[in-house]
Amino acid sequence: MNLILKKDDLNHQLNAWRQDYEVYAPQSLQNYTHFLPLQDGFELAFDVKAHNTRIPPKALFLPTSEALLKFTRFGGYEQIPSETSPRLIFGIRPCDAHAMTMLDTVFEQERYTDPHWQARRDATLLVGLGCHEPCQTGFCTTVGSGPFNHAGLDAILTDLGDIFLVETLTEKGEGLFSQLETATEEQSAQASVLQQAAAASMPIAFETEGLKEKLDQNFDNPYWEEISRSCLSCGVCTFLCPTCFCFDIVDEAQRGERVRNWDTCMFRTYSLEASGHNPRPSRVERTRQRLSHKYTYWVDQINQIGCTGCGRCVRYCPVGLDIRAMLRKAHQLPSEVAHV
Amino acid sequence: MPDLDALKAEAKRLLDEGVVEMIIGFKAGDTPLHPQPAFFKTVEEIDRLVYNALCQNNLATYLTRFPKTQKIGMLVRGCENRSVNALVIEGQHPRDGLYLIGVPCEGIIDWRKIIEKTGEEVISVFEQSDNTVLVEAKSGYFTLEKDTLLHESCARCIHPNPISADIVIGELLPEGDPTLAREQVAAFADLSLQERHAWFRQEAERCIRCYACREACPMCYCEECFVDHVSPRWTESGTTPAGMQGWHIVRAFHQTGRCTSCGACERACPMDIKMTYLTEKLNQDMRQKYNFEAGMDTKTPPPFSTITLDDKSRFIV
Ligand code: SF4
Ligand code: SF4
Ligand code: SF4
Ligand code: SF4
Ligand code: SF4
Repeated sequence: MNLILKKDDLNHQLNAWRQDYEVYAPQSLQNYTHFLPLQDGFELAFDVKAHNTRIPPKALFLPTSEALLKFTRFGGYEQIPSETSPRLIFGIRPCDAHAMTMLDTVFEQERYTDPHWQARRDATLLVGLGCHEPCQTGFCTTVGSGPFNHAGLDAILTDLGDIFLVETLTEKGEGLFSQLETATEEQSAQASVLQQAAAASMPIAFETEGLKEKLDQNFDNPYWEEISRSCLSCGVCTFLCPTCFCFDIVDEAQRGERVRNWDTCMFRTYSLEASGHNPRPSRVERTRQRLSHKYTYWVDQINQIGCTGCGRCVRYCPVGLDIRAMLRKAHQLPSEVAHV
Repeated sequence: MPDLDALKAEAKRLLDEGVVEMIIGFKAGDTPLHPQPAFFKTVEEIDRLVYNALCQNNLATYLTRFPKTQKIGMLVRGCENRSVNALVIEGQHPRDGLYLIGVPCEGIIDWRKIIEKTGEEVISVFEQSDNTVLVEAKSGYFTLEKDTLLHESCARCIHPNPISADIVIGELLPEGDPTLAREQVAAFADLSLQERHAWFRQEAERCIRCYACREACPMCYCEECFVDHVSPRWTESGTTPAGMQGWHIVRAFHQTGRCTSCGACERACPMDIKMTYLTEKLNQDMRQKYNFEAGMDTKTPPPFSTITLDDKSRFIV
């Protein structure tokens, strides 16, 4: 159902939700925006500077570090209960919401469900804000998503000047906006024109057809060395990526806590084995892992590209490496590798 | 701005005459704000060389990746030249295996300061001769004073000239004003203990431990960083206050007498974390207590790497 939320009423609405939820929305922190819980006198920051928050909202479900259990020196442990207090994330962009649905396939598998992830997901509503002015580094339409994609969202807002058009997408989403008046047909039509224009304004960043095969077939091509030559092997592109989920489990023996920390295939230590052998000894293999995971392994596993085109890795790579350029280049790779 | 044609001509000559096997420089990036470090091996490739105020990386960080027998050419600004020297002192590459093309440096533009003014959607950046920068962004055209865009490390740079390059392209610049460097340290050091702690916490707290600062720093070349060491563990592994503060303090301490104030660490950080106030304090201590600045020649080792028999502390000798 399409409803109308007046911009003048937005803060009132957010405050009303704060009675029942902890409400997170993009707010300024230093020179960037961050999903922070709204406090009295909050100031939203979703229409300034950046589209996306610097840190993707995955961090609200998979924190950079979290304790999983406590143990004592003399045996015995206690599991740390999952958080279940109700939350609402307001102003999440479609690429980031889309990423949440992909991460669900990792953390909520039939046989292995992560209780912390699941509890947080179940307790959290996602109200999205579509991108009527898509960002330049983003390429959501290239990877099968779009600036008004509904995946993962309970409701999505379209900015129509003085008002937001609200499309509720789930029952929970309907419940959130039950007080609002219905949109007129003209308003709905206006939103739909705007949504289509936004998607159409985004150039196709690279061809995805046949890309997986190219990458698969060229596992040993010098291409990987070429594209990774200046890479620093840092954690920027993966830590800021909304779909990257790798973690490392460490026993902090002094504190008696088993913790889970973000980890990334771009780190040297990621695949370092106890023997000292490292199957991904250099930036070449690590870059191959990052790109292949997103553009071939995810496709094998869930038949979706594991990148939502949010553009963060492009913006913040300290040496200016651009995944779009890497993938454009991949198309020049040979299609069939000669077998000897 | 350096004379790009002269730079290219020299780079071509070096490759053509076989003086070096490779030249480390920059090429145009895929996005307008980020030229990329590049490794040129042929004369033809040099046509893609670019050099401008957005080239934000310290190229010396790549030096330790290559065999010590390799003849390497590198474009160096003041701080990069000193980083190379410091690495030579630490035995990371022989000086005669290097050919340094020096460029007197007018400072690196901090792209974050551009987007602060123009929004993130930048289409092109053009440095103009009157010390302004013309930025075309989705939100319009902006003419910005270059001085207001400089990265803080560059705004307070003391040694902009390459000090021991094999050739210098461009006119030497006047040395920087050391009081500016002192001001930054004083802004922190003059605070009360509580205020300093609050400052430190506020910066360290945002850290996600991506280690881009470490990887961007030429002096962070340890094959195994202390944070990666697992047995025993030297720090907490996570983004707890203790973990992050431990990381920041020890990283800075490991730079004592080695840091050349290039600011590459700060520019690489995805969380806009200020960290040079720590290394600059140590640099100042080194200057005051030991009359030492890192990388000013290729012979004098940093004070903390030297042992003398008359050392006041007898714990080593
Ligand atoms: S952010 Fe850039 S430098 Fe860092 S690991 Fe990714 S590609 Fe490499
Ligand atoms: S790979 Fe890059 S563009 Fe794709 S989702 Fe991750 S950060 Fe965004
Ligand atoms: S790209 Fe790397 S860090 Fe990201 S999920 Fe895949 S393996 Fe993990
Ligand atoms: S610590 Fe920072 S300022 Fe010092 S040399 Fe390293 S990168 Fe440069
Ligand atoms: S680059 Fe920034 S976020 Fe990353 S480890 Fe260094 S200080 Fe922390």
